[in-house]
Amino acid sequence: MNILFSGVLLLCSVIILIRAPENFLAAILDGGSRAATLCVSLIATYSVWMGLIKVWEDSGVTRGVSKLLRPLAKKLFKTDDRAALDAVCMNLSVNLLGVSGAATPYGVKAAQLLDQSENAEYSSSMFFVLNATSLQLLPTSLIAVRVSMHSLSPADIVFPTLFTTLFSTILGGFLTWLFLRPKKRENVCKFLQIQGAGTQ
Amino acid sequence: MTTFLALIVPTIFLGSFLFAICRKVKVYDSFTQGMKGAIPLIVSIFPYIAAVTMLSKLLEVSGLGAQLAELLSPFFHFLGVPEELAPLILIKPLSGSGSIAVISDILDIYGVDSYIARCACVLYGSSETVFYIGAVYFSGIKRKRLHVALLISLFAYFLSIIVGCALCRIL
Repeated sequence: MNILFSGVLLLCSVIILIRAPENFLAAILDGGSRAATLCVSLIATYSVWMGLIKVWEDSGVTRGVSKLLRPLAKKLFKTDDRAALDAVCMNLSVNLLGVSGAATPYGVKAAQLLDQSENAEYSSSMFFVLNATSLQLLPTSLIAVRVSMHSLSPADIVFPTLFTTLFSTILGGFLTWLFLRPKKRENVCKFLQIQGAGTQ
Repeated sequence: MTTFLALIVPTIFLGSFLFAICRKVKVYDSFTQGMKGAIPLIVSIFPYIAAVTMLSKLLEVSGLGAQLAELLSPFFHFLGVPEELAPLILIKPLSGSGSIAVISDILDIYGVDSYIARCACVLYGSSETVFYIGAVYFSGIKRKRLHVALLISLFAYFLSIIVGCALCRIL
């Protein structure tokens, strides 16, 4: 991230410096205020979902769901850390419902806990890939946008999206298992990192 | 289908609160207690979000983003991906709010029910903002070992674009 960030930043700065130096400060400030407005709307979203999550925790819903999913998650992430698995299970099941706002607090917690568990590299990577390839079953927000723009069949995209996301999630999970699974992972890892460094 | 989808969120809330009340949970106390955590969470992720939005704004102003999109369009064409989607494909892994702006432009220009618009929606719905997840979920972690995971995610993302566009043609 450091290399990517500095590279793009330098390149952009040079171009702006040559073309229109007076735009630079305006642009970067606009980026900052975009982040601020985004965060304000995120505060609203997080308040709602984190409030609801607390209600789930206190009424025992969380425990029930994690109990159901834990055996599967244990196999998938190859860790025995109970607290980490609970956070992972909740993150994934909320993601399935398509309420990604509610998944983020669990995601942050799960990432922190997985980092301290055994096989941290494999489990964090698996968690990252499964989240990045998106398990979302129903693209609720997009359908809302399509309705507001008077689409004739707003739900048209549900099946293509479902198949595509299934494809990418399974592919991502399989590749992570293939390259990073705890056995003999070091060699493959080194190889891939060299490859990765070469392509960047 | 659409009315069914609109029902999901209210139903979740109703169900959760009813269940909680039956289990004798003090709903008001729990709900407010949970919301307390929102502000510290936002404070901890704000700098990472700000860095990304500043960078994407600079990309936009410098014209580098548009040029990159133009450069890549023959390549996308070769893969059967409409070249009009190039800006969306590039911004999606970086910024969720940025890609919402791009996608509403696409829907506006090409029409909501066109092939390009449907591809755009599938592309948007079938992936997450990869770098956002990297920044937000894993921001508090000191040991960074996610290079391989990042490569795998981006690879799966690009393959899913091709699959998504092909599926849009058939379905």
